[in-house]
Amino acid sequence: MRGKVAIVGVGRTPYSRAKQGERIYTIDEYLAWAAELALAHAGLSKNDFDGQGLGVAHAEASHTVNWAAAVAEMLGISPRVLLRADQGGASAAAMLVRAAAMINAGIVDRVLVMGADTPLTIPSVAPGLPLSPERTRGLFWDFQGPFGVMGANSQFALVQTRYMHQYPIKPEHLGKIAVTTRYHASLNPAAIYRTPFTMEEYLNSRMLSYPVRLLDCVPMVDGGLAYIVTSAHTARSLTEKPVYLLGFGEVSNYYHGSRTRPDITFTGFVQAAPEAFAMAGVTHQNIDVFEPYDDYPMVVLIQMEDYGFCKKGEGAQFVEEHDLKFNGDFPISTDGGQLSGGQPGGAIGGFMPIVEAVTQLRGEAGERQVEAAAVAAVSGFGGMTYARNNRSCVTAILGSEA
Amino acid sequence: MTQIPEGKPVPEITEQTRPFWTGAKNRKLMMQKCKRCGTLNFLPKPWCVECADRALEWVEVKPTGSVYSYTVAYVVMMNFPAWKNDLPLVMGIIDLDDGARMYGQVTGCSPEEVYIGMRVAAYFEDIGSDAAIPKFRPA
Ligand SMILES: [Zn+2]
Repeated sequence: MRGKVAIVGVGRTPYSRAKQGERIYTIDEYLAWAAELALAHAGLSKNDFDGQGLGVAHAEASHTVNWAAAVAEMLGISPRVLLRADQGGASAAAMLVRAAAMINAGIVDRVLVMGADTPLTIPSVAPGLPLSPERTRGLFWDFQGPFGVMGANSQFALVQTRYMHQYPIKPEHLGKIAVTTRYHASLNPAAIYRTPFTMEEYLNSRMLSYPVRLLDCVPMVDGGLAYIVTSAHTARSLTEKPVYLLGFGEVSNYYHGSRTRPDITFTGFVQAAPEAFAMAGVTHQNIDVFEPYDDYPMVVLIQMEDYGFCKKGEGAQFVEEHDLKFNGDFPISTDGGQLSGGQPGGAIGGFMPIVEAVTQLRGEAGERQVEAAAVAAVSGFGGMTYARNNRSCVTAILGSEA
Repeated sequence: MTQIPEGKPVPEITEQTRPFWTGAKNRKLMMQKCKRCGTLNFLPKPWCVECADRALEWVEVKPTGSVYSYTVAYVVMMNFPAWKNDLPLVMGIIDLDDGARMYGQVTGCSPEEVYIGMRVAAYFEDIGSDAAIPKFRPA
């Protein structure tokens, strides 16, 4: 599958914190907007997807039956194949893998993949708490909500506390990731929080869920993103700058150690990343830019380890020894990440590493452009489990040469 | 559309989960044990996650264990606003001596006193008329 498909267009709408007085867009409007941007980027029209593929990520705002087909109807596209990912932050990367398989099998030539969500304007149990009806019912909720689990902040904090117990790390190591991604956001007009902060400001930021501080937490936004993937052959006829899928790896419901009591300081990337590197035929030294799943600094540092950029437990030292800025020796989260860029709902932030990697590999990243970026590693990371390792991990290796 | 719920969340009790909630009401920690391989399954499962046997039997487990990890919430997030009266709130992953893992609040000591490996024991607090919830305190 190496180099058989390529991304030829990406789109990312402006994000919104849905402040008073702002025009509030619906999820449908965001989907059309993101698709319009990606189509324009690729030089295609929506009619080019009749008889082709359409992929739609699950969104909490979209409580309707046949959601992906409903989106096709809404947009006036008659696809042969519908993809519908329900893997949280791994949805975008998972659909890239599914689309690649469909294209490689000759079932379709191209797929328009999109996702949007409006977490700030969905029905919620309380204002300011993006807690949709689908999160507050069912067995999974019943064994968390009444026990005092406070969503992702709690779950990532539990991972972080355990990590701090097992390995050497100081708050400053996570702070360096947060400070660097905010610096990148300052260079990206599309990011929601663009004012740089210092290490001192990071360390003094309010503790929300020990050991997770305010500046460790991803801010929710309303917004949408899309990308277009097609066969390498078609890609070359459309653009001089196709971004090829060189390799991928994926695992869901990964356990590290025992199934009942695994070590939660690991992620499924210890399995998915080596698969992706092997398929792509690249080593860690070949990665010019790393776009991890970056909603909390702790999970970024863990990905550095689980991808094998350093040994387990040496992530803090790795962060200390490397310059993570776009012009440094190990650039990460060059769009400002979800941490400063914003996360359009629990499932849609996963489009951002793909969109940013494509932007970098096409040399279209403006002020934050990584020099001579030719190979990127991107992550999809979706869903927190019940006190175990996370739900879905997808790694994709993208490159400007097949 | 937006209706602020009063109080803390209470579970929707199904036949699948009732023994846990009723057990807690009777001050017992009940979990599903696989008759075939002996695995304790928690949270409640439709079959054994190790061997896929659907014959899971509810048994009382020892209410003691150790803190595997913990967090101290200073704000309410992704949960009901009524929790704000309990802040700061220590919530942990508890590894029970009998082999299961569960979430639980850790009370009876200050947040600064909690540590990984701390020995804890469950106690029970009624929530609603049909259920109680296990919480943990230093043992
Ligand atoms: Zn079994």
